[in-house]
Amino acid sequence: MKKKKNLLQAYQQAPWRVQLQWIGVFLLILVLIAAVAGVYLNISARSAAAGRRIQVLEIRISELKREINDLSTRLAAISSAGEMYTRIEDEDYVALNPLQVTYLEVPGYQPKTDTRLAPPPNVEAISSPILKPQFTISLWDWLRDNVWSRSETPVIIEEEVIP
Amino acid sequence: MTQKYWFRYIIVGAVCLAVAIGVIIQMVRIQNIPGASDIMAMSEYYMGYTTTVYPDRGEIYDRWGRLLAGNETTYEVGLDLVNIYDPETIASVASSVLQLDYMETLAYAQIKAGTEGRYYIVLDDFVSKDQIEQLEIINEDYQNREVKRNQKRPSLSGLVWSAHTKRSYPEGDLASNLIGFYSFLDRTEGRGFFGIEEAYNEQLAGKPIEVYTTYDPQKVQDQIEVPPGASLVLTIDREIQAMTENVLDEAVDWSGAEAGTIVIYDPRDGSILSMATTPRLDPNEYWNYDRVFPRPTPFNRAVSNSYEPGSVFKVFTMAAALDGGAVTPDTIFSDTGYILVGGSPIYNWNSGAWGDQDMTGCMQHSLNVCLAWVATELGAEDFYTYIKSFGFDRNTGVDMAGEIHWPLRLPGDEQWFEVDLATNSFGQGIAVTPVQMVMAAGALANEGRMMAPHIVKSMVIDGHQYEVNPVVVGNPIKAETAETLTRMLVTSLEQESSVALVEGYAMAGKTGTAEIPTQFGYTSATTHTSFVGWGPADDPQFLVYVWLEKPTISIWGSEVAAPVFSEIVSKLVVLLDIPPDTVRMQIAAQ
Repeated sequence: MKKKKNLLQAYQQAPWRVQLQWIGVFLLILVLIAAVAGVYLNISARSAAAGRRIQVLEIRISELKREINDLSTRLAAISSAGEMYTRIEDEDYVALNPLQVTYLEVPGYQPKTDTRLAPPPNVEAISSPILKPQFTISLWDWLRDNVWSRSETPVIIEEEVIP
Repeated sequence: MTQKYWFRYIIVGAVCLAVAIGVIIQMVRIQNIPGASDIMAMSEYYMGYTTTVYPDRGEIYDRWGRLLAGNETTYEVGLDLVNIYDPETIASVASSVLQLDYMETLAYAQIKAGTEGRYYIVLDDFVSKDQIEQLEIINEDYQNREVKRNQKRPSLSGLVWSAHTKRSYPEGDLASNLIGFYSFLDRTEGRGFFGIEEAYNEQLAGKPIEVYTTYDPQKVQDQIEVPPGASLVLTIDREIQAMTENVLDEAVDWSGAEAGTIVIYDPRDGSILSMATTPRLDPNEYWNYDRVFPRPTPFNRAVSNSYEPGSVFKVFTMAAALDGGAVTPDTIFSDTGYILVGGSPIYNWNSGAWGDQDMTGCMQHSLNVCLAWVATELGAEDFYTYIKSFGFDRNTGVDMAGEIHWPLRLPGDEQWFEVDLATNSFGQGIAVTPVQMVMAAGALANEGRMMAPHIVKSMVIDGHQYEVNPVVVGNPIKAETAETLTRMLVTSLEQESSVALVEGYAMAGKTGTAEIPTQFGYTSATTHTSFVGWGPADDPQFLVYVWLEKPTISIWGSEVAAPVFSEIVSKLVVLLDIPPDTVRMQIAAQ
């Protein structure tokens, strides 16, 4: 019995060593928590900054849209039919008599086509993702798609082409 | 580890636990105290706000993409009562820049925030960009001004402005009769009135959406984008519209007419190239509506005013008779100067007898007696069947607000008499609108196919442009009949040496002079004068309808409306790039 007790005591950690281990474990957990919190804070701060930037840019988009509307309307006003008639009169132009017109056939001439303000409904714009898939898929998916699936792809043996 | 250390650990742990429990209890308590709902509401106030977003109203373009109705930025100026420090300066600046009353503005600026729940007061709306720029310059000047120690710095703090759009019509009153107007002064209940603005109000306005705007930048991607209203591309050509309105205004002045209407229509697809009426309103100042249109003046006579067309209607009687086989162009009618129909005598416009006339002669001299006879030869049943197939018993369905039609009196109706067959044959006792006339006459110019008149060419919705397809609404006559009648009308105009002729171009057309019914019967002193014509006769590309009401210079359509038609066509062929017939034949032969 005594022998057994001595044996256990011989292999038992010293109390100060146990304390150090506990402190080490605690600090490790603390560092891990701090690291995770730091990463979280960093990401959330950056995303908040990006979100704020989006808000600012959206306001800017609204302002630009309004400005485009303004300028389009102003352009239409200064080139309106009434304004053009005034200019015509100021420049002493006269209305064209149809019989004064000389008509020439110009090969390849394309007459004015209809106004196209937007694509027709059957023409779908080819959408290209803003973010590459590498930034949106998980690491697991990326490994599966790019490593394992590649290794599973059968090797194509190039055959000799007989002419 | 000894017992005494454990005790210390337990004490520290107990304190931490007590604090944590205290925090949890406090959290639960705050959730349930009487003012909890207020605190929650306040927190939601700081998280974001909900507003109704009204999409930008869709724009309106002519067929070549020239803007006819758009939106421009304007500003609302108000007082943020919480942030006002210098009411006198605000009142002074507002009165000098915005021309507001000083004392009234000062009284508003001195209201304490929260009084009667007021935190914001609108001072002025639809303020121009120039005025806002003045305010910005003054504000910047105040902020940068150096003041002495005991001097008070003037401040515009609390005077705020926000941008919004308002409807704008850069062409002024051009095409206003068909565009209508939008009551932009009413920012929440505004709507389109008349024309396109009313007919397409829902599409142009888009759908207002309740939008929650969050201050949380993390949730910015949840924001909903409100699509603008649909934009419309019209069939009208701004240059043709302007030319038509100029010619019409000159014609009304020259003829002394009370009002006038000119419609130019493409019979091949039913598109309206221009539609001019008098009077016209500048839609930028739509509040003048009552002054410009005293009751019962219609906003757009072309769709909202019916009248007895007179002899111009004879083209349909002749078309029906030719198509129904009642007459041929060579049929001879011996005109004795009158005819009895249903016991009532019918006379010619000059009360004269014109002797033997073929059908072309009847049209050329516009003989009422001959056309009444033609109608009786066709028979009432067939005559009215044709008239209905030309669409005179219903609206055309043109895509503009306010279209009307006068009910067609038919055999069997209480108010129909046998003599009506005769009077209707030359356009009396029957009322039509100009747009009905152009649709029906379009069938004569388009090989018998009658196209639905329309003003919208395409729509831009959610980034896609949708074309409006032409619609055939009927085939009232055969293609051969349309060709025959066109040839007859070309001949009659040429033989008459009509002032409607256009040098170099063969035109088919017919004049109209209509007596006006009054409560005392028909009066010959004042008339409706009109002309309908289309060309080039061998390949009609346009149809022009002219109507001048009660001209004073002459009562005859051949003297008033016909020269207006000629002037319109001589300018129209240049704008449409249509060469004279000889040149066209040469090009076609090559």
